[in-house]
Amino acid sequence: MARKTYRTSETVDFIVVGSGAAGGIVARELARAGNSVVVMEQGPRLASHEFEHDELKYRFLSGITNDPATSPQSFRSDPAQKAAPVAGRNPLTYAKVVGGSSSHFNANFWRLHEIDFIERSRLGAIAGADLVDWPITYAELEPYYTKVEWEVGVSGLAGASPFDPPRSKPYPMPPLPVKASGVLFERGARKLGLHPFPAPMAINSVEYKGRSPCIQCGLCGGFACEVEAKGSSVWTVIPEAEATGKCEVRANAYVFRIGMNKAGRATGVHYFDRDKKEQFQKARAVVVCANGSETPRLLLNSATGSFAQGLANSSGAVGKYLMFNKGGSAAARFDKPLNEYKGANVTRIMHDYYDSDPKRGFYGGGGFDARSGGPLTWGQSVPKGTPSWGPGFKEYLESYTYWMTVAGHGTSLAVETNRVDIDPELKDAWGVPAMRVTYKDHPDDIKHAEWQVERAVEIMGAAGASQIVPGEVGNTSGGVHLLGTCRMGNDPRTSVVDKYHRTHDVKNLFLCDGSSMVTSGRGQPTQTIEALAFRAGEFIAKFARANEI
Amino acid sequence: MELPTASRRKFLVAIANLGSTGWIAMNWPQIAYAAQHGGHSDANDAPPTRLNTLSPAEAADIEAIAGQIVPSGKTPGAKEARVIYFIDNALGSFFGAQLPSFRQGMAEFQGRFAKAHGGKPFAAASDAIQIAWLHDVDRTPFFMAVRRLTVLGLIALPKYGGNSDYAGWNLLGVENNHSWMPPFGFYDTDYPGFEPYPGTKPYTA
Repeated sequence: MARKTYRTSETVDFIVVGSGAAGGIVARELARAGNSVVVMEQGPRLASHEFEHDELKYRFLSGITNDPATSPQSFRSDPAQKAAPVAGRNPLTYAKVVGGSSSHFNANFWRLHEIDFIERSRLGAIAGADLVDWPITYAELEPYYTKVEWEVGVSGLAGASPFDPPRSKPYPMPPLPVKASGVLFERGARKLGLHPFPAPMAINSVEYKGRSPCIQCGLCGGFACEVEAKGSSVWTVIPEAEATGKCEVRANAYVFRIGMNKAGRATGVHYFDRDKKEQFQKARAVVVCANGSETPRLLLNSATGSFAQGLANSSGAVGKYLMFNKGGSAAARFDKPLNEYKGANVTRIMHDYYDSDPKRGFYGGGGFDARSGGPLTWGQSVPKGTPSWGPGFKEYLESYTYWMTVAGHGTSLAVETNRVDIDPELKDAWGVPAMRVTYKDHPDDIKHAEWQVERAVEIMGAAGASQIVPGEVGNTSGGVHLLGTCRMGNDPRTSVVDKYHRTHDVKNLFLCDGSSMVTSGRGQPTQTIEALAFRAGEFIAKFARANEI
Repeated sequence: MELPTASRRKFLVAIANLGSTGWIAMNWPQIAYAAQHGGHSDANDAPPTRLNTLSPAEAADIEAIAGQIVPSGKTPGAKEARVIYFIDNALGSFFGAQLPSFRQGMAEFQGRFAKAHGGKPFAAASDAIQIAWLHDVDRTPFFMAVRRLTVLGLIALPKYGGNSDYAGWNLLGVENNHSWMPPFGFYDTDYPGFEPYPGTKPYTA
């Protein structure tokens, strides 16, 4: 079937900026509701066979991610400092292809728990942070979590964890086969009286909706899936959106400003096409799903006379409260080969320490999983005491298949000074002002990560590791979970979007991605972002039908 | 909530406990088809066979340093993996922006070594002299850069120049294949299946 295309002179119902975890879903929901939709994606559209098993390309050469050479960012840890680009990498990393970061994610699909939505009410204020409740509850989002699991496809074992939040349906697919790291993690944790369980993953364990089961190639995080077993939007919801005949996915379309009229309404988007030629696409409404870094940057770069501080920014909250998911880990060596380069990256997780416990003396909670990295990434560093070159280093390299990692994934507190804004000098290869990142961990985030390192060490000790290397907890200087920068809330004075993802300031401008999240959750935000997107798509379509956009 | 019956639950948990054989039997046709059509081989990308960026003298010294970082011996090291071809290729293309500072560091390294050793190049020195010298300079940015490039060249795909005949992967114990089947390692071979916790009721669709 020929793909639908629209002329820029046509006024489409919706422009969706971004084709990732949220954008693909919002586009599908709006198109299925009968709306004309153009999805703008700044990266190219690649066929599945074009993705390679090339660790250098994807992990070191920005193969499908935002390239610091053309899309630079600056960083500082203190607002009083002058920010500067970081050599060789960008602080905030995301995939720049059709499918967005859902193309290269690890595919860990954790639901938030009930507590995530109401922590401020339960715990009270935390000094130095701006912890607030969400304007929605877990119960309101639960149907959409289920929708993600069945529409996108998630493998897992419902009810296996005593800490699972309530759910209305099981997973549609059984868990992926366990790998050695999962067995050892489970062994160690059970010995300590903990409750590890099969990891819920957006990776097909069996054929699902016409997509292949996982071939266990071992290259999930950082890579796109060439057999389409991973639940990336480019293989799941985007083809379904296009199948409506109402949706165009416009690749290599870099949106740099939202058009506004004198009445304070969005009129469309200004973008550069593949030839770097400026274009304007008209629309009745705009939904920005560009991720937690690019969404605030686009709003701030869209400042006009009547929106001098950036679009939808009367609260001043656009770009603020940047959160990642800080965590602590430990690597461990065992006596026999694990071969962690084989098999989906994660097969066992644990949520015993999910809730924040005031008895620890600091805020923070999280989950743990057993995982590994590709050999090229692993070989870059050595444990303390191991020679970094020479025969001792060679011996270490020869031990690669005997290692695994227990990784903690935890909370990052919302802090007003942690933010994305516009660098006053730096510009990208298109001449668009670049983003400036300011970030310093809240002290509780550091303490919690250190606490997680201790727990990871305990688990690997109980599993019988012959060598354990505690992870080092340093100051965060970047991340891939880009959260909180256009937070959702009922009060227009303190939040950017309402609970339906409509901006408080511009009636026909909606935002939905990691930027909407009010708290960071415990480490794996994508399923929540997708649940929010299904919910947002449903409500925005209702607004459109009622002529309320 | 959909709560399955006890017997159905038992069956479904058994499904969730699928051991290696069961999972493969259930999925093998689809997996084999997908793997066949995945198209991720680098077999058609011929690695570079000439040095295009570094001069012969530069390449000799860099190869000697790389050879001390991952030495030859009973198993191949950086030299046998032809890491120098990766480094030359990298500095002439995707890491080209680093070439000026790399060359500056190399000139300082070579100059200091020659001055201390009667004008002799590093590559011509004995292993003992090379190792002693590298211990003195292994915190310098230049050495760190060579080390990083050596490890990358050892493990990156052969199409980039190093990891010749997958010598680097062989060293690490990584088999060259595109898809795998459980069991993957020693510890998952006899995994008995996931045992539910008291009070939980695992269930699947």
